[in-house]
Amino acid sequence: MKLTKTILMGSTLALTAMWGAAFAQNVAREDTVIFDLDRTIKDPDNFNWFTPGTKRMHGAHQTMWEPLFILNYNTGALDPWLATGFEANEDSTEFTLTLRDGVEWSDGEAFNADDVVFTVNMALENEEISSREASTIRAQVASVEKVDDLTVTFALKEPNPRFVVENFGVRIFGSFLIMPEHVWNGEDPATFAFNPPIGTGPYTFTSAATNRAIWDRNDDWWGAKTGFMDLPEPQRVIFLETGGAESRAQLMVTNELDAAQNVGVGTFEAIAAQNPNVIAWHSDYPYAASDPCARQLEINTTVTPWDNPAMRKAVAHIIDRSQIVNVAYEGTTVPSETMFAQYGSMAPFIDAVKEAGYGLPATADVAAGQALIEEAGWTKGGDGIYEKDGQQLSVDIHVNSASTEYTRTIDIVVEQLNRAGIAAKAVPVENGVFWGEVLPFGKYEMSYSWLSCGSVNEPWASMGRYTVSDVVPVGERSPGFNNTARWSGDAAAAYSAIVDQMADLTLGDPEIPGMVAEAYQHLDAEMPFIPLVQAAKLLPMNTTYWTGWPTAENYYNHPFFWWNHTHQIIHNLEKAG
Amino acid sequence: MTSTDHQAEIAADKAARKRAKRMKRFDNPWLNPKLIWGAGLLLAIVALGLIGRMLWNLELVYTGSTPLKLPPLGFENLRKQPGVLDYPLGTDGSGRDILALIIMGAPNSLFVGLLASLIGMSTGIVLGFTAGFVGGRTDDVIRVLSDVMITIPPLLILVVFQSAFGDVSLTMMALLIAGFVWQSPTRLIRAQVLSMKQSGYVQMAQLSGASTTDIMFKEMLPNLIPYLFGSFIASVTTAIVTAVGLEVLGLGPQRIPTLGRTIYEAINAGALIQNLWWWWGIPTLLLATMFIGLLLINLGLDEVSNPRLRKA
Repeated sequence: MKLTKTILMGSTLALTAMWGAAFAQNVAREDTVIFDLDRTIKDPDNFNWFTPGTKRMHGAHQTMWEPLFILNYNTGALDPWLATGFEANEDSTEFTLTLRDGVEWSDGEAFNADDVVFTVNMALENEEISSREASTIRAQVASVEKVDDLTVTFALKEPNPRFVVENFGVRIFGSFLIMPEHVWNGEDPATFAFNPPIGTGPYTFTSAATNRAIWDRNDDWWGAKTGFMDLPEPQRVIFLETGGAESRAQLMVTNELDAAQNVGVGTFEAIAAQNPNVIAWHSDYPYAASDPCARQLEINTTVTPWDNPAMRKAVAHIIDRSQIVNVAYEGTTVPSETMFAQYGSMAPFIDAVKEAGYGLPATADVAAGQALIEEAGWTKGGDGIYEKDGQQLSVDIHVNSASTEYTRTIDIVVEQLNRAGIAAKAVPVENGVFWGEVLPFGKYEMSYSWLSCGSVNEPWASMGRYTVSDVVPVGERSPGFNNTARWSGDAAAAYSAIVDQMADLTLGDPEIPGMVAEAYQHLDAEMPFIPLVQAAKLLPMNTTYWTGWPTAENYYNHPFFWWNHTHQIIHNLEKAG
Repeated sequence: MTSTDHQAEIAADKAARKRAKRMKRFDNPWLNPKLIWGAGLLLAIVALGLIGRMLWNLELVYTGSTPLKLPPLGFENLRKQPGVLDYPLGTDGSGRDILALIIMGAPNSLFVGLLASLIGMSTGIVLGFTAGFVGGRTDDVIRVLSDVMITIPPLLILVVFQSAFGDVSLTMMALLIAGFVWQSPTRLIRAQVLSMKQSGYVQMAQLSGASTTDIMFKEMLPNLIPYLFGSFIASVTTAIVTAVGLEVLGLGPQRIPTLGRTIYEAINAGALIQNLWWWWGIPTLLLATMFIGLLLINLGLDEVSNPRLRKA
């Protein structure tokens, strides 16, 4: 009797304790914000963002790691975050950054100039770390020095008026993230897993699996203590892999998701019809926000027959951009006219290229394309496909399978090429494999990409990505995904010379548009990549639990919640009702 | 009263016997209604493919050749667009005509099933007869091989294979599937051959010096035909299910329209939430028809080979 009683008591106690623990971990749905993740987290225990993989866009750089500045797409200004400002010398070769006072790591240590100098030096000294942000720093910075606890000076190898926005300003997707010296010191940055991770952000890491990552609010956040900003309202942030348009749509309808990745316009209309709380960037058609990364067809210029510029040009003639817009995007975007994002701030450069006659048509000229193929010695076989020496003219086009936006675009390109006589075939690959293995190592013939992405108010950031200095052999990693087409030769060299000259000029120099047009003649003649269409992202956002989402009317910044600027979105969210 | 009753009874009996006699003359087991209906359904699908190819514009199966997401004639889609006569069964989200898709796709799915099980059955017949008739080491090898292979789930292997291979042609897919449908016919035939081997006519043939292949294929095979047919239809069903399974996962051929791939694309493009029921519904309906047809044929063949199942 006594024994039974003891056991009963014991198990009741244990159960109560377990219940209590479970209870402490439960956060109510209305205090949780759930974002959509479009990829699998292959290595959920690793938080070393210097290494390839899903190490930052699963919530880490949206909630835990903060940038120094955030580029505001609306005002064009750099919103200060961990830094408060910067100064440059006359010729833009030396930059002095001032850090914010009172910033703390989540373990209580102070964030200061030592961390900045340490992290930058780590990137400078370790050639093997490969992330785009680290490569960019390594290419630009000669040395970095601490002036005092809140001041850091960078000496650059070459003048670069865009240094801060490029490296620390979340201009495109991410920024160079500062790591805590007291944790990383003595570790090998190429292999260190950084688990458990810490950051300066208002959230700390709770748990992660291959399909989700959970971040909980740190009520002791420095920003609230110093008065920089209030604590964000959500107590918990979840990044959840939803997988596919159908399931993300269903999750939006049932309020199991607060912000979803890109969906088609028909899907969005269906979601909104079933759940009127779901909104998008524009309240009316076409709903979508324009993304600064225009879509393109990347061509590996080292593989025959595509090493022949005439063949690449032929493909460019055969592609019908307006059909891609109408079918894959259901009319929500526009065909690309040049490699650049068609933002108002880019108009002078786009116009210069068009005036010089290198603008791209919206529709195809299949006959011109076929003439070029025939000139190269191919003849059409019985099945309508070109042949030479018994070999069919074929091409594999690798495409990231994470979104139907990508696969549908390539389905259309494949169709267009086949009908013109090129046996094209789509090879869908998982997101991680696509970015980790296919693109950077040049293991493709053609590929869907947006790697000329970069420029939003000047032309260099995009054009500088295809210079000969970034050419590496197939099988080696392209530095920072630059020139993955491996475009080299005389035309590429001439192009690179002009682009390198352009790099030294300050923003707004009147010579720049002319130089853009001059450099662009080589791109137009050789086509290492073929611009397709402007990107538009239709991101459904749910106002059932949270309001304050970024929209055209509430434009505090753009809505791409996988970027490093998502701190701003989370701080703007307010509990509904 | 009793006499008229009796007379009527006799008359009825006579009529019944007469009818039975007449029926007997036509009582060919191959003409049972299940078999006829089943064959009819499959032929209808084949006819749809053949006649459709002559009458319909097949260019409409290519991406971007029609307006997007139009409903079938007589329906409206979510955007309140009515169906039009040019695309009577509606269009999909990539601008393809559903009618053209099924005209091309339905016979393709049937083709994969038939080809795969034809190859699988032929392999099964040869191996089964050899194992059963030759016996010994040969039997051991074949038996162990088919027993091992039968435990491997085909879809699992094929998914790995296809995703490594990338785009495959229909014939290639049929060949791959054939590698997984030969085991059960092999076992079935081996068992039948073993029991038949003891029967008088086989031993007679052996005594009169007929060659092994002659005995196997001239003496024994004809007696197995109903069995073989039943087994053939069963493996067609398995092969189609496997093929459609692969296609629905997006692992089938890319530019060749198949019913499975159409369903895959519909799911992928969010057709369920957009209420584009014709996009996934019509191919599903056709697949259902195909399977019901195959099932009926199978039941009908059962009646042929097993007289006890026939209605009295």
